[in-house]
Amino acid sequence: MLVLLFILFGGLAIGCALAVVAQRNPLYSAISLVGVFISLACLYVMLAAPFIAAVQVIVYAGAIMVLVVFVIMLLNVEEEERGRGRLKFLVPTAIALAAILIAEVAFILVTVQEFRVSPATGVGLTHSIGSQLFTRYLLPFEITSILLLMAIVGAMTLARRGGLLSPNARVIPGVTTLPRSLVDPKAAPDDLRAVEADSTGGAARLLGLTDLRSQAKREES
Amino acid sequence: MMEPQLSWYLALSAALFTIGVTGVIIKRNVIAMFMCIELMLNAVNLTFVAFASFFQDVVGQLFVFIVMTVAAAEAAVGLGIIIAIFRNRESLDVDDASILKL
Repeated sequence: MLVLLFILFGGLAIGCALAVVAQRNPLYSAISLVGVFISLACLYVMLAAPFIAAVQVIVYAGAIMVLVVFVIMLLNVEEEERGRGRLKFLVPTAIALAAILIAEVAFILVTVQEFRVSPATGVGLTHSIGSQLFTRYLLPFEITSILLLMAIVGAMTLARRGGLLSPNARVIPGVTTLPRSLVDPKAAPDDLRAVEADSTGGAARLLGLTDLRSQAKREES
Repeated sequence: MMEPQLSWYLALSAALFTIGVTGVIIKRNVIAMFMCIELMLNAVNLTFVAFASFFQDVVGQLFVFIVMTVAAAEAAVGLGIIIAIFRNRESLDVDDASILKL
């Protein structure tokens, strides 16, 4: 029974992995990759690791793949064309390297004798993982949190556009210089004489526009 | 009754890793290469879980947990880099991004 399940999910994983590489459209590759992740989660359940299986589905098939599919949709990726360019020799190189790697693994698996152990039952539960993670392996856990913080900062720095100010605005540390048209609704749109202030409210005060604002409030009430 | 052996899982993991390496070498689309890297990380995760299960030691699963965190961080930063490259070059082909300067 377990052998049948292994063959089913292992075959599914390998088939989906081949589809990831073979597909030209990145979106189809992403869908195939979800198949790999889910069949690996099933294998984790067979290996008595239900916690890791759940995390695999949530983090990989959920979060990471949503991010990848989102970026594919955002960038409107076209299908890649084959056979163009100067890197054609890479295909036989890749196949040769893959054959060498498979041969090495087969050699190791044949020569190394079989371990006479069987899958455990109580190892992969959330309790045992949590108790180890928060006692003996607390330092790697904390380092991981710093890594995530760095990833957040890095992703935001990389992905943001220039800023929210208009292209006419100049930013000096401590002081923002705004074009007059940005703060004064009555100014001409091409009036680029600078207004220097820390904030829009300060600029409005400099321009004598606070009366307008209080007048608008009075009209509302 | 026959049970799946440790070597079966290792062979499956090696096959997945090899497919991932092949994809990284063959593919030219940055996002496709990125997905092949995820595939390789998953192959290594399978090795960790198989060893953890057969040696009845939970440490392997802790490693998988940390590898997943690294993969999530890698996804966030990597996709940010991909978006930045696309903004500058209007292309996701790695051949177009072979030099780092604009």
